[in-house]
Amino acid sequence: MKYLHYILRNVRRNPVRTALTVASTGICLFLMMILVSFFAMSDEVNTGSRVHNRLATLNANGFAGVIPIARVKEVAALDGVEAVTPFSWYGGKYKDEVMPFAMFCVDPDAVFRVLEELTIPKDQLNAFRKNRDGCVIGRKLAKERRLQVGDPMPLKGDTYPVDLNLTIRGIYDGPSDRDLRMCFLRYDTFDEAFRRVAASSGRDVSQFAGNAGMIFTKCKNASAMPAVSRAIDDLYRNSDYPTRTQTEEAFGKMFEEMMGDLRGMIRLIGLAVVFSLLCVAGNAMAMAMRERTTEVAVLKAIGFDRGRILFLVLAESMLVAGSGGALGALGSKALFAWVDISPYTAGFLPFYYIPWSVALQGLGISLFIGFASGVGPAVRAAGLPVVDGLRRVV
Amino acid sequence: MGAASSIELRSVSKEYHRDAFTIPVLVDLDLSVAEGEFLALMGPSGSGKTTLLNLIAGLDRATHGEVIVHDQDLGLLSEAQITRWRADNVGFIFQTYNLIPVLTAAENVELPLLLTSLSRKRRRQNVATALRIVGLEGREHHYPRQLSGGQEQRVAIARAIVTDPYLLVADEPTGDLDRTTAGEILDLLQLLNREFEKTIVMVTHDPLAALRASRTLHLDKGRLVNDVIQEARVPAAS
Ligand SMILES: Nc1ncnc2c1ncn2[C@@H]1O[C@H](COP(=O)(O)OP(=O)(O)OP(=O)(O)O)[C@@H](O)[C@H]1O
Ligand SMILES: [Mg+2]
Repeated sequence: MKYLHYILRNVRRNPVRTALTVASTGICLFLMMILVSFFAMSDEVNTGSRVHNRLATLNANGFAGVIPIARVKEVAALDGVEAVTPFSWYGGKYKDEVMPFAMFCVDPDAVFRVLEELTIPKDQLNAFRKNRDGCVIGRKLAKERRLQVGDPMPLKGDTYPVDLNLTIRGIYDGPSDRDLRMCFLRYDTFDEAFRRVAASSGRDVSQFAGNAGMIFTKCKNASAMPAVSRAIDDLYRNSDYPTRTQTEEAFGKMFEEMMGDLRGMIRLIGLAVVFSLLCVAGNAMAMAMRERTTEVAVLKAIGFDRGRILFLVLAESMLVAGSGGALGALGSKALFAWVDISPYTAGFLPFYYIPWSVALQGLGISLFIGFASGVGPAVRAAGLPVVDGLRRVV
Repeated sequence: MGAASSIELRSVSKEYHRDAFTIPVLVDLDLSVAEGEFLALMGPSGSGKTTLLNLIAGLDRATHGEVIVHDQDLGLLSEAQITRWRADNVGFIFQTYNLIPVLTAAENVELPLLLTSLSRKRRRQNVATALRIVGLEGREHHYPRQLSGGQEQRVAIARAIVTDPYLLVADEPTGDLDRTTAGEILDLLQLLNREFEKTIVMVTHDPLAALRASRTLHLDKGRLVNDVIQEARVPAAS
């Protein structure tokens, strides 16, 4: 690459202009990466959940519907099922925090067999199973709140008027793309407290008691999943509470669909960003080349042919835009690998990272921007008649 | 004269078209330059000197007639071929030096060599030789803005000769220089002509500069008006 040196010198010719172009490309791509990664990441996580052969069963009417708790045992008895746990949302506050972290009522005997990728020391799990006031929290949650095994965990019910004074019996860990800030409490403890509160209030809330909310089923293997799924829904088709069972992957996607066509909108924003970057980079390159008209003519006089001029200009614009892309795309990847932003998202994003596919795509887009914005000035420079270019000196 | 003809122009015309008008710049021009000759072109501004030089150097094409340089009819070459031909055969020297400001003296001189297949080491050697011939050893790493006008023109001359071309064309090479510095540049051109046997065509407004050439041609309104052969009457180094 004997021309690299010359190209680099050209890039540095007007450092301020180059820096501004690199910065605008970098910043825009950085923001793009954050938007796009949200979906790419959940796709990756959803797809990644396949290996666990899990099914999620909801009331056919969705989250608002009821799933009687007795069904957990019935599902567990089906062929091909390995473990089953209720997974009931306990919307509550920790101390007085609003939306502190996700809390689920689960079966302590089954939850870590269903969520097999989460790990917990054996003695802690046993303590959770033995103590009805027990709860288990994720490693990141424990670290951020400086919580330890044995600490109290007072929860105030929001969704249900049920307050619980629990004790942390264990801390679970798991892969980085899992939510390590959840709190698991025992379904039996919650249900008992709920019935007590309901009885004392005198209102008839019996239809809400014994609601598992959702059933999480781990199948023995992937091939058993369709049959188990069908068996569950068939079992309750003619009951008061028909169910809808789907794979964990489909369940995750359903969440996303609840956000409407955000994906399409982000794609549109992305296109707009790419277009405006094209204008920025194209203008910078056009300015740079206009200033160099005579130089290009001199190069051509010396014997640089059209192809070489095209190459020099395109390489320069791709280098500038590509540097911006590398900074923005790879920089965002590095940043989110380094800094965990989820504590600042109030639990909305349990974890966040830029998938490689997205980062490389961003880099590719920046190279495309460099190419597309350089083509015009490059073709103009390559086509410039030498004599005209030389005359501009005088 | 007697030497083989290096440059032959046969009834060459050059016209520019602007809207419906045709502007004749060179009119039915015949010219023959011998190998190893140092030709000076003079004439009033707008008489067509630069245009003629551009035709000889393969930068522009004649509207009519033939331009034959070093046995090559330039009219027969394609755009790509003539570009290659220039790289191999012509060295350019401009009034305003036209160095690349972001490259050092050595890097400027190296530019034409990038088009060859020479190794990096060979390129360095050739650059050093060219810079030595123009008397600029020790200035390799200076940028054009760090050099005087005369030194810049020396770098430009080094760039013109580094590929050892057959022909040097110079358009008012001393136009921007004071008399002393101009004299030094002309010394150098004479040296290249005599010692290195380069054929040189130089456009100039300065009669003293023209005296350094072996022949001076006057151009007026696109025609050659006289053809004076002169043996250099001014000694080198004045
Ligand atoms: N691209 C062009 N289009 C139209 N006319 C042109 C073009 N290039 C040159 N001319 C005309 O051709 C004529 C000769 O120009 P040229 O540059 O050869 O003159 P010159 O003798 O070199 O003048 P000077 O001494 O001022 O450099 C001028 O009248 C000029 O206006
Ligand atoms: Mg001229």
